[in-house]
Amino acid sequence: MKVLRVKPWTIAAFVGPGLLLYVCLVFVPILVSVYNGMFDWNGIGASEWAGFANFHKMLFNDKVFWPAVNHTLQMAILSLVIQLPVALFVAILISRHVRRANFLVTSYFLPVILSVVVIGQLWKTILNPASQGGMINQILDKIGLHAWTHSWLTEPKYAMYSIILVGLWQYLGYHVLIQFTGIQNIPADIYEAARIDGADGFKADRYITVPMIVPIFKISVVLSFIGSLQSFDRILVMTAGGPAHATEVLASHMYYQSFLSLKYGYGSAIACFLVVFSLAATVVVNLVFNQLEKRYT
Amino acid sequence: MKTSKKMFAGALAGVLAVSLAACGKSDSDGSSSSPAASNPGSGASPSASAPASEPAKENITITFQNIYPDPTDPKYKMLHKLVDQYQADHPNIKIELDSLNTDQQKLKLKTQAASKEVPDITIVNPAAQMQPFVDADLFEPLNAMVEQNGLKDTFQPGLLDAYTFNGNLYALPDGNNIAVVYYNKSLFQQAGIANPPATFEELVADVKTLKSKGITPLAIGEKDSWTGSFLFMNILLRTNNGPGFLKDVLAGTKKFDDPAFLDAVNAFQDLVQAGAFQEGATSFDYNAGENLFKTGKSAMYFMGSWATGGIETSDVGKDNNVGVFKFPTVGGKGNPDEFMLAPGSAFAVSKNSKHKQETLDFLNWFMLNYPKEIFELKGAVGIGQKVEGDFKAAGYSQMAIDVLNMFTQVKGGDLAFDNTMNPGTAQAHLTSIQNLFVSKKDAKDVAKEHQDAFDENYKK
Amino acid sequence: MSQTAVASAQQTTAANRRRFSVSRILIYALLAILFVTQLYPLLWLVIYSFKTNEEILSGSFFSLPASWQWVNYENALGGGSYWKYLGNSVIVTAVTIAAVIVLSGMVAFAISRFRWKYGQYVLLLFLVGMMIPLQSTLLPLMLMFKHIDILNTRWSIILPYIAFQTPISVFILAGFFQTFPNEIEESAIVDGAGVWRIFTRIILPVSVPPVVTVCILTFINIWNEYVLAATFISSERLKTLPFGVYSFVSQYSVNYGAIGAFLVLGALPVVIVYFLLAEKITKGMVAGAVKG
Repeated sequence: MKVLRVKPWTIAAFVGPGLLLYVCLVFVPILVSVYNGMFDWNGIGASEWAGFANFHKMLFNDKVFWPAVNHTLQMAILSLVIQLPVALFVAILISRHVRRANFLVTSYFLPVILSVVVIGQLWKTILNPASQGGMINQILDKIGLHAWTHSWLTEPKYAMYSIILVGLWQYLGYHVLIQFTGIQNIPADIYEAARIDGADGFKADRYITVPMIVPIFKISVVLSFIGSLQSFDRILVMTAGGPAHATEVLASHMYYQSFLSLKYGYGSAIACFLVVFSLAATVVVNLVFNQLEKRYT
Repeated sequence: MKTSKKMFAGALAGVLAVSLAACGKSDSDGSSSSPAASNPGSGASPSASAPASEPAKENITITFQNIYPDPTDPKYKMLHKLVDQYQADHPNIKIELDSLNTDQQKLKLKTQAASKEVPDITIVNPAAQMQPFVDADLFEPLNAMVEQNGLKDTFQPGLLDAYTFNGNLYALPDGNNIAVVYYNKSLFQQAGIANPPATFEELVADVKTLKSKGITPLAIGEKDSWTGSFLFMNILLRTNNGPGFLKDVLAGTKKFDDPAFLDAVNAFQDLVQAGAFQEGATSFDYNAGENLFKTGKSAMYFMGSWATGGIETSDVGKDNNVGVFKFPTVGGKGNPDEFMLAPGSAFAVSKNSKHKQETLDFLNWFMLNYPKEIFELKGAVGIGQKVEGDFKAAGYSQMAIDVLNMFTQVKGGDLAFDNTMNPGTAQAHLTSIQNLFVSKKDAKDVAKEHQDAFDENYKK
Repeated sequence: MSQTAVASAQQTTAANRRRFSVSRILIYALLAILFVTQLYPLLWLVIYSFKTNEEILSGSFFSLPASWQWVNYENALGGGSYWKYLGNSVIVTAVTIAAVIVLSGMVAFAISRFRWKYGQYVLLLFLVGMMIPLQSTLLPLMLMFKHIDILNTRWSIILPYIAFQTPISVFILAGFFQTFPNEIEESAIVDGAGVWRIFTRIILPVSVPPVVTVCILTFINIWNEYVLAATFISSERLKTLPFGVYSFVSQYSVNYGAIGAFLVLGALPVVIVYFLLAEKITKGMVAGAVKG
């Protein structure tokens, strides 16, 4: 049990400044969004009370909404099940086999700091059709796999996956960095003990590294989830949600509704959904990891 | 414990009160800034050579939000030159330029408009796109200002209508353009095509010929979905046998399942199916699309005449290699002298400006000097005002002069979709047309998508 | 400690080097491929910044520029806005990072170490804000800032930056603080140390890892931030680096070469600082790690 008994004003002094700023500049805007979601408002002129009409329309009458939810989930889940395990695997390999590990890990991290403008350009030169200089398609052509070539960013079937792929690439190094340092902090004597017991190599990883890294992994999971839900600037730059909403995610749908279609009230309703959705996801992640932590510690 | 809870609740309540006060969409707060209207009668001192003669030289700052941030753009040079000159002549006036890229400026202005914080001068798009701002009463009417120093007469006749609502003029355009088709003469020759197409059917045939020679027939930047819409609307302008289809829909005399609309959808799909556009067109933004034409990779390019300057200075534009033609008739219908019209983005003055008179005086002077400056910087093709000067002698290309000649032949036309219908309907339309690039659709379905969006966004 | 972990891991594998030679080759190949895919884009960006618009848009992945366009750098540096913007970015980012660490550190400390019934509720309150899309806060913030009259000042971006970074930082720091054994405070209390002293002298010094994590996270999110800055800042003298990047985007033209050059110039200080600090950063990046 926690031992620090403090006076209420001490709590207030510690929590107050941060909380006040947060409540004013983040939490209140969320409440305002809920409130705005109740209006038929273009964001500029007069508004009209609409009750729950926006929310009703969002859930039942918007052909773009549920596909956007779907794409958002795809993005979040794919980065969860592909990116994080790969990052962990790479982190284990590096910590085990590389002497100047820091340099390598640092290099892997670099794409994170690139601006999205450049990343959009870069990946277009990779994913475009062969006739437009797309690298992947040109390679496929050269090795005789013409049937496999696609216009990766514009065929609705593949466009979303292409965008997810870019995210996987950009943030892989970020998660490698987090996992790697997590592994480095695992005390060596545990491995020693395990080796004496005959657990070695990947067996040691399975029984020591993976359980010991659970707390760090949780941060990775949350960060990757937030990243997936918020990142639509990549979509803005690469496809603008198109063709015909094939790559629309919740955040981009909200943005376009609010500021291009000038349905600010409706956009606010989508924003509310996004917040509730994220909160639920975070709580679930927390619960799952609390269970895991209990089991392993 | 108890106290802390109370404190917390108190803090939250206080915060809420502040925010709720802030939420009030009444404009009681916005109108607090009633300007020191310096006697409008003697406001006839806007010329640069004769600085304002009012004795009270209060130092003021005018914020000028604009979309000319690129130092290599002629409009940037024009803007900075004029502003510097004006500040030199009026030492008490500082003009603060807030230069943003177009998308960001739109977002910023919308955010500012919601709290009535519109900068002294800002930029808006014409007609339906500026309607919400006008409805919210954010802009100052320019009726009186435009009469001063003969500014009104410098504009091309009829152009200001696109910025006039209920008899009040609210903005002054930086341009006026028409849609044309640019074509690469040497690529046409290479494909054995002698003349630019005179009918849409010839155009489709040429597309097939070019395609068979491995040349991309038409470049487009359909990631910015207005580009495809602009082309589609030109087809509709023909199949409707003249302008006004959307206006008729708005008036309730036509619906989207009208044969003119269905024909336009089918004609547009003929182009797509003939392979007119480059592969992966929907991921090409405006610039990447235009670049295909500028680098000689595509034979034709449909665009507003504002593209002229960029094309004439590109490699492909050398030696009179690029020609222009009017969009042809479709199925024998329509008149090529009717164009898609694109009145430019325009300068508006905030109704709540703290220095309204000074702002109006500056804008008046600015617009009077705009044509001459931009002409010298070779950016005068497609500006909204009359230009004195010999284009040929000033070094404009033959193509530019051809385009200028087309302006003189304009016999009316339509505005783009998003300048005619409200943003909600326009967005649905843009999506619907973009979809035609990736899948073939029944024209009736496309019409229904449009009609549904229209009914939803224009209910009541 | 960490060195020993690696060393022992290497020892173990050294014994098996022969046996696993094939798999070792595969491993190095994999790591090398990743090295190329993650690092090539930087090289690509540098090459990009020397190309003409036509070359960039023609989009060939490996090609070099026909002639090196130093003019892009002239354009990017022209008018001196680069240095002004860089200075502003540094100020804004530094103030934000410092404030985020102090404020969220205090909150996290209170949540995780104080005997206090409402700690978990406060944490939950913060979690709500962790994923709000920034765009949906623009209008409410505009109204607020108008009323407290800080539009077009540095505060109009610093304050929301701090507020937006606080939730995730509290989340990370609280997770880390929770792992400390209670004896820490118990002995400190016996020594007669106050709460503030415990926080600044005992907790913070051993929390370098998560603090560095928070620094990096905050930095990444702020250095390239444009939407908020463009909305609340209007004066040229207050603008930050992303304004410079987007200044080469006009209505009907984009000067990609200059954008590339500006990005290289903008990334340069970051990369330099980053590699200088890399050792510290990687060591520090352990947040909430199991204590050894």
